[in-house]
Amino acid sequence: MPNIFFVKDQEHPYVQEKPFDWIRGYQVGGKSLLWARQVQRWSDFDFEGPARDGFAVDWPIRYKELAPWYSHVEKFAGVSGNMDGLPHLPDGEFLPGYPLNVVEKHFQAQMKKHYGDSRHMILARCAHINGNFDYYAQQGRAKCQSRNLCQRGCPFGGYFSANSSTLPWAEKTGNMTLRPDSVVHSIIYDEEKGKATGVRVIDRLSKEMEEFYADVIFVNAAALNTNLVLLNSTSNRFPNGLGNDNGLLGKYVAFHNYRAGVSADYEGHLEYTTQGGRPTSGYFPRFRNVFKQETDFLRGYAAGFSANRGPYADQSGIGMELKENILNPDKWGPWRIGSHMMGETIPKESGYVALDPNLKDEWGIPQLRVNVDYDDNDEKMIKDYLEQMTEMFDKAGFTNIRTRDDHRAPGLDIHEMGGVRMGKDPNTSLLNANNQLHAVPNVYVTDGASMTSTATQNPSLTYMAFAARAAHHAMKNI
Amino acid sequence: MNRRDVLRNLALITGGLVMVPSCDFSQEDILSAYDKLKVSTDMKQLLGKIADTIIPPGKIKGALDLEIQDFILVMVNDCLDEDAQQSFTKGFKSFENYTINKTGNKFGQLETSQKEEVVLAGLQEEDEDYKDLQGFLGTTKRFTIQGFLLSEYMQTEVKPYSLIPGDYQGEVLISSLKSEKING
Repeated sequence: MPNIFFVKDQEHPYVQEKPFDWIRGYQVGGKSLLWARQVQRWSDFDFEGPARDGFAVDWPIRYKELAPWYSHVEKFAGVSGNMDGLPHLPDGEFLPGYPLNVVEKHFQAQMKKHYGDSRHMILARCAHINGNFDYYAQQGRAKCQSRNLCQRGCPFGGYFSANSSTLPWAEKTGNMTLRPDSVVHSIIYDEEKGKATGVRVIDRLSKEMEEFYADVIFVNAAALNTNLVLLNSTSNRFPNGLGNDNGLLGKYVAFHNYRAGVSADYEGHLEYTTQGGRPTSGYFPRFRNVFKQETDFLRGYAAGFSANRGPYADQSGIGMELKENILNPDKWGPWRIGSHMMGETIPKESGYVALDPNLKDEWGIPQLRVNVDYDDNDEKMIKDYLEQMTEMFDKAGFTNIRTRDDHRAPGLDIHEMGGVRMGKDPNTSLLNANNQLHAVPNVYVTDGASMTSTATQNPSLTYMAFAARAAHHAMKNI
Repeated sequence: MNRRDVLRNLALITGGLVMVPSCDFSQEDILSAYDKLKVSTDMKQLLGKIADTIIPPGKIKGALDLEIQDFILVMVNDCLDEDAQQSFTKGFKSFENYTINKTGNKFGQLETSQKEEVVLAGLQEEDEDYKDLQGFLGTTKRFTIQGFLLSEYMQTEVKPYSLIPGDYQGEVLISSLKSEKING
């Protein structure tokens, strides 16, 4: 029985110096089949965060340099959403958005009433095709059918995944060779030429090593595995990992804080319900510390928001009475309201990944040691999220408000980032403004590993924009 | 691989998402598919009768017709933790004695109305002595309802699952919904 969609930790072991749930998908298409498909742009309130608030290092680029590449990938991938006009969550190239329901609209209006222009609940932008159908038909993709079965891989190509979009597109060029069952061992560095010349790959099944050569190499193995590959790419020139002259490779790893949530009931609009499916929900862009520092913690959180309603059945009895009841659900309770936080965490030198000196996996590759944890800033942020969301729910007339902190380990957010961060200075960062290793410019990293800070937005869209921008740079310059 | 192994593996692999097809384990007292529960053929039959009391046959099929007992056992065997499994087994094993104490007869010998009374009484037990029994019946009821509603029969013949449910509408008047009553 092959693994399907998620790898088993037993078959792909790693060392948790502190609890960390490392979620990986080694199938063709990787986690692009499994992602939540939420795509919000960053703004300069995110890129300028480290410099303004004094953590990590300054990002080497700003929003205006990435904006055209956000547009590029949004048009290609297909992003539905509304033009919301928010400076801290810039609008993009949107296909028509999905509707908010009657209670979500009520909440939106209540936010406007109670908080004016300082807090917004909007429709979350998602990578689903909801317009411009002729263009996506060229990729072999069709309209999202709102089935909400995305995690099975979509037969319509209704959402963006490597399988539905980039791989078929690459295949069209005639230059693509797809090699599943390839385990990257390391990057080959040629000291005489002063550049990387290829990649060592182990066949998953035969365990034999093979070398491939290239002028340009993109290492995008998904954040932590990118760190692993670079750390394992040792040579005389780079005994501590490729491009790791300053010893910072693997350090300043951070993630998104998804620990807390708030739920409630709403006894209004009881004459209404919803029908059909929707691949997205409501979204709170960050409202804490956006324009200036205003709390006792740094940065802030975004939040998901949704209201749901459906009929249920009385299941109290047994026998024919129960059978008739469950066949004909006709009870209508209150609207169910839910929210979850997505907090920015601060990358620190103490949050790191490293190679285990002894333990190896089945393919002889050193196991990764992960040491990442919540800090005091995260705890304060959780407290604030629970307080603020409770207050907002209360003001909107919601009742039976319940807060939760599930104390999940980092990693379950599946937004691990950093370790190969971008920066202006080769002494304090690994990658330059074009995502090239400072010390090995023909090696690019554009996945989560490259992130200098985490912001609050679901990060894939930003990785995609970096990747498109870096590919363009490589074509022009190398 | 013989047929029994195939079926056992199917039960384990599917993790309860797909019902185990009809199979004859009569050669074997302890059913290997439910290795954590130590369930015998007799017990499985009894479970089928309890499930059929919870959702009886009528105009449409009942729990026993759909072999929901297999669904229940797969779910308990594969998806509950060890404590819950032990409690389930303990409650299960005490059920026949409970029935005899209540009615003087074994469950299989009772009339439908008597079976309903025993199961309802067990579900409503608050006494600490009957905690496992009450839990066993509660779990059985929960998985009977789930297995019934999610069965292929229900999802294809009675209330066909909509593969494409249509565009989202966020403001639908409940009074405008049309629903045809399904008679059980």
